[in-house]
Amino acid sequence: MPKNELIEGLDLDQYKYDFRSVDKPVFRTEPGLTEDVVRAISAHKNEPQWMLEFRLKSYRTYLSKPMPTWGSDLTDLENVLDKIYFYVRPQDKMKNNWEDVPDSIKNTFEKLGIPEAEQKILAGVGAQYESEMVYHSLKKEWDDKGVIFDSIEDGLKNHPELFKKYFATVVPAADNKFAAMNSAVWSGGSFVYVPKGVHLDTPLQAYFRVNQERMGQFERTLIIIDEGAQAHYIEGCTAPVYSTESFHSGVIEIVVARDARFRYTTIQNWSNNMYNLVTQRAVVNENATMEWLDGNLGSKTTMKYPSCYLVGEGAHGSILSIAYAGDGQHQDTGGKVVHAAPNTTSSIISKSISKGTGRASYRGLCKVYEGATSARSNVECDALLINETARSDTYPYIEIEEQSANVGHEATVSKIGEEQLFYLMSRGMSQEEAMALIVRGFIEPIAKQLPLEYAVELNRLIEMEMEGSVG
Amino acid sequence: MPDWVKVASAGECPPGRLLGVAAGFERIVLANVDGDIYALLDRCSHQDFPLSDGELVGDRLECIYHGAKFDVCTGRAMQLPAIRPVKTFPVEIRDGDIYIEI
Amino acid sequence: MAEAVANRTGRARYAGKIEGLARSAAEHLAQGEPDWLAARRLHAWKVFEATPMPTSQLEEWRYTELGERLHLDQLRLPSAEALPDDPASWPEMLRRTMSLDPEASGHLVLVDGWVVHTDINPSLAARGVVLTSLRAAVDEHPELLKEHLATQAVPPEEGKLQALNAALWTDGVFLYVPKGVRLDAPVRVTRWISEAGAAFFTRTLIVAEQTSQVSYVDEVLSEDLSEETLSSTSVEVIARDGAQVQYVAVQWLGRGAFYQSAQRTLAGRDSTLDTLNVSLGASTTRVDLNARLLGPGANSNMLGLYFGDGDQHFDHNTSQDHLAPSARSDLLYKGALDGQSRSVFRGIIRVAKSAQQTDAYQTNRNMILSEGARADSLPKLEIEADDVKCSHGATVGHLDEESLFYLMSRGISRSQAERLVVLGFLGEVLMRLPLGGVADKVTRAVAGKLRTGPHA
Repeated sequence: MPKNELIEGLDLDQYKYDFRSVDKPVFRTEPGLTEDVVRAISAHKNEPQWMLEFRLKSYRTYLSKPMPTWGSDLTDLENVLDKIYFYVRPQDKMKNNWEDVPDSIKNTFEKLGIPEAEQKILAGVGAQYESEMVYHSLKKEWDDKGVIFDSIEDGLKNHPELFKKYFATVVPAADNKFAAMNSAVWSGGSFVYVPKGVHLDTPLQAYFRVNQERMGQFERTLIIIDEGAQAHYIEGCTAPVYSTESFHSGVIEIVVARDARFRYTTIQNWSNNMYNLVTQRAVVNENATMEWLDGNLGSKTTMKYPSCYLVGEGAHGSILSIAYAGDGQHQDTGGKVVHAAPNTTSSIISKSISKGTGRASYRGLCKVYEGATSARSNVECDALLINETARSDTYPYIEIEEQSANVGHEATVSKIGEEQLFYLMSRGMSQEEAMALIVRGFIEPIAKQLPLEYAVELNRLIEMEMEGSVG
Repeated sequence: MPDWVKVASAGECPPGRLLGVAAGFERIVLANVDGDIYALLDRCSHQDFPLSDGELVGDRLECIYHGAKFDVCTGRAMQLPAIRPVKTFPVEIRDGDIYIEI
Repeated sequence: MAEAVANRTGRARYAGKIEGLARSAAEHLAQGEPDWLAARRLHAWKVFEATPMPTSQLEEWRYTELGERLHLDQLRLPSAEALPDDPASWPEMLRRTMSLDPEASGHLVLVDGWVVHTDINPSLAARGVVLTSLRAAVDEHPELLKEHLATQAVPPEEGKLQALNAALWTDGVFLYVPKGVRLDAPVRVTRWISEAGAAFFTRTLIVAEQTSQVSYVDEVLSEDLSEETLSSTSVEVIARDGAQVQYVAVQWLGRGAFYQSAQRTLAGRDSTLDTLNVSLGASTTRVDLNARLLGPGANSNMLGLYFGDGDQHFDHNTSQDHLAPSARSDLLYKGALDGQSRSVFRGIIRVAKSAQQTDAYQTNRNMILSEGARADSLPKLEIEADDVKCSHGATVGHLDEESLFYLMSRGISRSQAERLVVLGFLGEVLMRLPLGGVADKVTRAVAGKLRTGPHA
């Protein structure tokens, strides 16, 4: 078979989550972002005055900041944003009982397998539909131990002091243009607190769904893992495919107190008309561990660099990043580690696959401040190019001010090995099977870290990608 | 040798305000907190942007570029993304003029 | 010698008349020049004026705040009298440096921006090899200069400082090697600057015709300079199909100097075009090196070595542009940083869609020797072809205690052991380009720096 046909056959021709519900939201703002929209969101949420002021100041900051000129091509974004609905309220009130969720929404999540997942093993489940969390529940045993797992709005309402102490301290509104935008219009997301010494032995899970066309989702999540506590939070994201662009810009703030351990897993599988511009950052204290597991498979454009600020002695940060860029997709992802205390350690492992006209870029920072004695960091990036129109970039920034630091970065870019391919085919495999096997082997070090259901999902996706590559 | 340098007249930096000034080769930001003047190096410890473009809220100087905050009295970094302190300078008011020691 | 006289005449034309770096300076320099060259100077000046001074807001200058390190308004063109073509009248340090060089195919000496001496092996001259001052080449080789001078390699549009150089260059080096001619010994160029507060603008143009072979070593040195002094150079190296060229630049200017070098190499089909930049001196060093692999099978080894102490600042900005298939480039830059010194390495490999079967590598390794030193490393890849082998690596580390321990257990003192480890670390670079005398000289200079530092 000619080589080109083989490559053509790898096109992703089906997106599992391309179904939509016809439902009427109870409220939505006019398209575009104005001060009135900001005020309307705040009014709908019955917020305290300080939050309205925070939103308005953030809105001004957003206006004052230029569009980033690095990373992905955002030249069309201004036009897209003019048409986006910044706030869509799907139902009146968040439900804690699945049966109470409106049918059209419930059906959507049932198709995504959310209730099943909850029944299985999870400690808690949250689901966001458009701009609001429509459902949140936590198993009683964790509730009894003082764990908080709420929508962010309920976090503000029910735990105002804890909320105010940490909100926007990890990611200030002025951090970047999209953090400022999120700070102005945030809606939905989770508020999580795990008390001292409590070990959640099963994950908390949140699902984010955009259903409506031209929808903007701006979830805001604040997670505090107190001293010696342990937890794992998983988020998954999907949307139907529309001909117009949608927009998602989240801000995730995480505080990991001393001796605590936290893992945040994202499986982003937005439809390929989604702009996905997310700021995720964790502050990691003494002897605490933060792990980001970041899977970016969907979206049109993603810019996302999970960060660890290692501010306590002995803190550890790890980022495992996997990106798949198919036709028309640009995944601009990576991670940042900032060493600001002695004996801190970090590792970043990034794997990317570019196919068709896809472009995968690794962008990362490793910074060691003076005084972060004996800091150690290691970064490894591997990129796989499936055909000649694909593109891969690597943009690491390494800034070392400390004599006793040890920092290494390595990256390789390679093509899918034809020798491997022919070897596998000579053993009786079809081309697409061989392709899938090679790609699976490539991402295996990261895939094996995923919760089982996501690992299965990832494998299924790769097989789908390789399907029909013959003829 | 440290030197006292006149950088502005007191009226130029009213309460609640910031003022960027030059002192020799250094750029300095003055902050007036309820009548007390503080002087810091006009350079955010995060990415070297001028702090004088920022905002004074109480005794916190907020960098407009990425949201870092500093205690104007001690120069201490109070909020990410800044980690390191900003250098501070002694200030004196003499005959209505602001002097700093550099 | 004819060139030297011409130079002195050229010098006399503006000496003492011009103070600052102004349009009038470009106009003075253009007086009496052929129209094409005068027009290029004035065009370059326009580009200079239209280009804003780079700030750290620009990615390329992110770690070097140029405005704080270089004050163009306080610099002037050199005004010192030209020295005669007589080594006895040259500074002792210049003569000593030259005396350490082993065999050469030819020499060229620049003092304070002017070529004061050239010589070339007569048998090579007879075969058409040209080594001359750029000023003389304007008259003697106008066609080659018209084609290559500040055109496809380092035109003024490359940047503010490149434009300034193209407007205000006083003299420089022209080396031409005809087709098939191979030089056994290197061409050696030595530059000396002495006038503090001046700005020296020179250019180097090397054209190596098909299947020729040449090694070129360019050293620039000075004593410490009491005022900010700029040494600016634009280097254009062209290797035609099958040519083999080695370009070596060694910088040991005194403190007070701002060394700025913009280099571009153009490698033709199956050519080999290697470069080595050694940065040891100056207060601030900024080297922009762009290697263009233009022909299939082209090959570039790009080596760099820097050693900083005191408050020295080094910024090496490299790029490897693969524009043709089956070419190879391999970069290795290594540096050690003592005192409060700081280095920035920014390198990029760009592989164009058409450049299949590219092999491109890039490695930057840093050793921090003291508290207060700093190393930033930004190795980047942009790959648009799929059938490639590309990798990069960067490390920042410190003196390896195990190696020190091992050496000390053999009866070597700690300070000596440290020196050996650093020399061994940097020595890897020099070993990759064995070129008469260079490795020895550089090793001795690094050892000298180590001796005067806290590691002595």
